[in-house]
Amino acid sequence: MIRRDMLKWGALVPALAGVPGMARAQAGEGLDVLLLDTRFGEGPLDDMGAARVLTFAGDVTKVWYEHLDRAWRQPGFVVGGITGADALFVLETLARQQGRKVVARKALEVAPLAGDIAPVSWVIAPAHPSVLA
Amino acid sequence: MSVLPPDLDAAGFAAFLDDLRAVVGPDWVWSSDEDMHAYRDSFSPVWNTEEERHASAAVAPADVEQVSAVVRVARKHRVPLFPISTGKNFGYGGPSPNVNGSVVIDLKRMNRVLEVNEARAFALVEPGVSYFDLYRAIEERGLKLMLDCPDPGWGSPVGNSLERGVGYTMPHFRDHFGAHCGMEVVLPDGEVMRTGMGAMPGAQTWQEYPYGFGPDPSGLFAQGNFGIVTKMGFRLLPLPEYYRTCLITVPKRRDFVKLVEHVNYLNDSGLIGEVEYGSPLRAKMADPQVMALITKAGGVSDAELDAAAEAAGLPCWQVELQFLGPERATYENWTFARDRILGDIPGAQAIEGEHFALPASEHQLDTPQQPWPSAIKRRRSLGVPSLGEWKIVRDDGHIGFFPVLPRDGEAVFEMQRVLGDAMKAFPTLPPFFNALTTPLLWHTHTFQMVFAPSIKHDDPEHNAISHAAMKRCVEVAAEHGWGDYRASPIYQDAVADTYSFNNHALRRFHEQLKDAIDPDGIVAPGRGGIWPRRFRA
Repeated sequence: MIRRDMLKWGALVPALAGVPGMARAQAGEGLDVLLLDTRFGEGPLDDMGAARVLTFAGDVTKVWYEHLDRAWRQPGFVVGGITGADALFVLETLARQQGRKVVARKALEVAPLAGDIAPVSWVIAPAHPSVLA
Repeated sequence: MSVLPPDLDAAGFAAFLDDLRAVVGPDWVWSSDEDMHAYRDSFSPVWNTEEERHASAAVAPADVEQVSAVVRVARKHRVPLFPISTGKNFGYGGPSPNVNGSVVIDLKRMNRVLEVNEARAFALVEPGVSYFDLYRAIEERGLKLMLDCPDPGWGSPVGNSLERGVGYTMPHFRDHFGAHCGMEVVLPDGEVMRTGMGAMPGAQTWQEYPYGFGPDPSGLFAQGNFGIVTKMGFRLLPLPEYYRTCLITVPKRRDFVKLVEHVNYLNDSGLIGEVEYGSPLRAKMADPQVMALITKAGGVSDAELDAAAEAAGLPCWQVELQFLGPERATYENWTFARDRILGDIPGAQAIEGEHFALPASEHQLDTPQQPWPSAIKRRRSLGVPSLGEWKIVRDDGHIGFFPVLPRDGEAVFEMQRVLGDAMKAFPTLPPFFNALTTPLLWHTHTFQMVFAPSIKHDDPEHNAISHAAMKRCVEVAAEHGWGDYRASPIYQDAVADTYSFNNHALRRFHEQLKDAIDPDGIVAPGRGGIWPRRFRA
């Protein structure tokens, strides 16, 4: 991944970090997909700037199997998310397998769920030469 | 944290990496700290301590020829390799090696589903294929086959079965190594070998007849270090037509002994799938009096637990049964099980649960409607891989001790008492072994119980307690003939040491084999507690 891409995608995290709240609009600009973990609240999903917004409630099985696994087999594809740290662990582990990595992450100032699951905003982008666009 | 392979200086390591790059290309060799972070065991109880095991580099070959070439390069430089398939062996070491400085040979690029044969119910896959990949290959072709997958399903059939992992459908498919048939292995000298009928050129039965002729060495490659498996065949279950569940409860503590005997009969006769034992009394564990009773030193008496159950208006035990097969067969098997158990155990009751045709709809997978609080995880019970049914992360992970014990109610009571008492030395951990702890019938013919304390990266004191408790569990269990079935590299020597019949004859035999075919320890030295001469010295 070239440095300017890293900076561009990394810059998304402060924007994502404003969610939930007024800063949602355009939070996902530059992303192919924005993932929202509805355990931390639901709100209007349109007009967030990402090409597509997908939601789930802790269990990433469907969004990964139906969308990310296929997309990550091709070059490119940048994903951002506002999710529980547990969901990010699963996605980060799967992303590494396919030449991608978390290029930015930020813990959010939101009360954790029961079980101390903290919300985090993040961006996963291509890293290995085989999947760079 | 940068480490070097054993007996190699920085210049030698650089030369070794250059040789690897010449084999697989420069993009498929990693050694930076950032890249190697992915090969740490994030569930390690010794995270960021001196005991944590670190690899020095990783290499990802694309095919068996490159695996063979990588092994030859490692042999030339005397560098130990640590093979992983998808690296998801969390709770048992993840992708981390036994020996500091080992080089991970990451087989993730070898991700082809080579064959799925519906009519003869088998698959042949490479190590980088995950259960999701195999499920997708079956689903997209509309084949009437059922997987048996672990939970979560992100690991690989090859890796999981070589770890002797388990699943949740019918008895002979739940034992994943037992359900394999035929493998291809790169040996420590780089030679490529096939087992069973794969050894016969032109044979069409590699995934159907496991033995071929003469000794079958397949078992040496499970939890072993005698080669790198590059292809593996698996028997698959023809998709059953129908799925049915039921619940049976029994009122008294001692009824558990008979209940187990009946379920053993049903299991061994092939009439049921995986079962979920439980105790309805667990719903009362928030009551301090109940908690005090079930964690009482020396265990509970029948009368004490029966009184607690009566006071709560609950039965002591339950078992959820699952039936797979033709609709009429599942019905007949359910009524047979019900009549057999209710006719023998006074006060036993039965409740019919959900039943529907397979394949299940998404709604049926996502929203079970059992008329009781169920422990059945629907997706895994139907061979559908998941990332969320079983919670992957508690705190920062967990470790796992799963002692093997007989399928016998009295043995369950004994383990509850013995390990419950032993773990009182670690009062900050949850009481994994208590008077309501029930066994797992994952492997085909044995019970296991669970000890799985959590790990917290920012709490080394908690991790040290979990680590010490784990080692104590291994010791105490072995004193009673209960062995761990699978362990992280940091525990493998201790576990292997408990399999000590006749002055460790088994270990000495393994060492003789290792010395004969891999004296320098090129393939995973220390794995399974087997060390070659170079490292024993």
